[in-house]
Amino acid sequence: MHAVIINGSPRIKKLSNTDKILEKFTAGMTENGTTFEQYEVSDKKQWEDIRKAFYENTHILIAIPLYVECIPGLLLEFLETLSPKNDETEIAFILQSGFAEGIQLRCGETYLKILTKKLGCKYAGTLVKGDNFSIRWVEEGTAERVTAPYTEMGCEYAKTGGFESDKCKAFTGPEIFSFPLRVMLGVVFAVFAKSGFKKISQGVGCTKPLDYKPYK
Amino acid sequence: MILIVNTTSDTSLTEELKKHTISKEIDVVEAGSMNIGHCIGCNYCWLKTPGECSVKDDYEIILKKAVHADELWVISDTALGFIDHKGKNIYDRMLPIATMYLKFKGKQMRHVLRYKKKTDFGLIITGEADKEYLERWLKRAALNLGSKSLGVYEKEELTEAIACMQ
Repeated sequence: MHAVIINGSPRIKKLSNTDKILEKFTAGMTENGTTFEQYEVSDKKQWEDIRKAFYENTHILIAIPLYVECIPGLLLEFLETLSPKNDETEIAFILQSGFAEGIQLRCGETYLKILTKKLGCKYAGTLVKGDNFSIRWVEEGTAERVTAPYTEMGCEYAKTGGFESDKCKAFTGPEIFSFPLRVMLGVVFAVFAKSGFKKISQGVGCTKPLDYKPYK
Repeated sequence: MILIVNTTSDTSLTEELKKHTISKEIDVVEAGSMNIGHCIGCNYCWLKTPGECSVKDDYEIILKKAVHADELWVISDTALGFIDHKGKNIYDRMLPIATMYLKFKGKQMRHVLRYKKKTDFGLIITGEADKEYLERWLKRAALNLGSKSLGVYEKEELTEAIACMQ
């Protein structure tokens, strides 16, 4: 199989969490001979090449960070330039978010089915996973722990050409966190996370409190 | 205050809205001809310049008004069963209204909001789309900003939309 991978993140490749995920994912995907070409929607100079690859190939994988419950505006802008294929082309998706629970991504996942139909292609499933916000902001080793599990999912995609297997569906983790976990995380958010965010913000030169209100 | 952001180039709908919306102050932004880019996902509005977008374009006009609005109505064209990218950009760029901080509200994680004011969302679409999906999407989008959806209306349903504004 040869896959065309489109990184749908509007963030430049160097800073893209989705790209870090794809690095691990493609390592697994290529283990048994599957090949791929990857494009970045964030680079408008690539758009003509992406369109060509979309029309000439039958296995498309679009990796997407969730933006306001759906796909980012920039990816939508690109997709609006495509004509429906109306052939056997299959599109699979990786949908990732900052929020950790599976339920947070289901509205976006539903749209991907609608989108696939509009593009005249066949839906090959969505790999749904949250809790990815930290990838860009933490040390490499910590980020590695977040992204490493995607390698196995890459193997799964290479085997089936999609994400409909039970293993891929289980990859999402819990739809909603249990009550004890919510209580524990509530404490973490209120106490430890705030100092962590403060440290990150100071690291990028922020001089204001993170709840600063510029438009009073 | 009701803020109406028209991302289409057709101003006839906003003219109608101005004529018939009576009970509250109404502020119309004709964004169709404005320079408004997409969210670039830099997270600076959370971590570097809290509450401010790093993309310096005409969107700041909308954001400054939105934080004080009771209702935000977006008029958007449609594409691929959804609102088009110009409409989506208006929502994507709302991120500075939330802070980086997190909490649980009910059973789900949410961002702690930057302002006390909650702005309800309404949507008027000028083309074909999956309306059932858009209703679901708008509810979720509003939920994440602590507000509620006022519904999705086709341009032929302008009277119903106006009734919700009053």
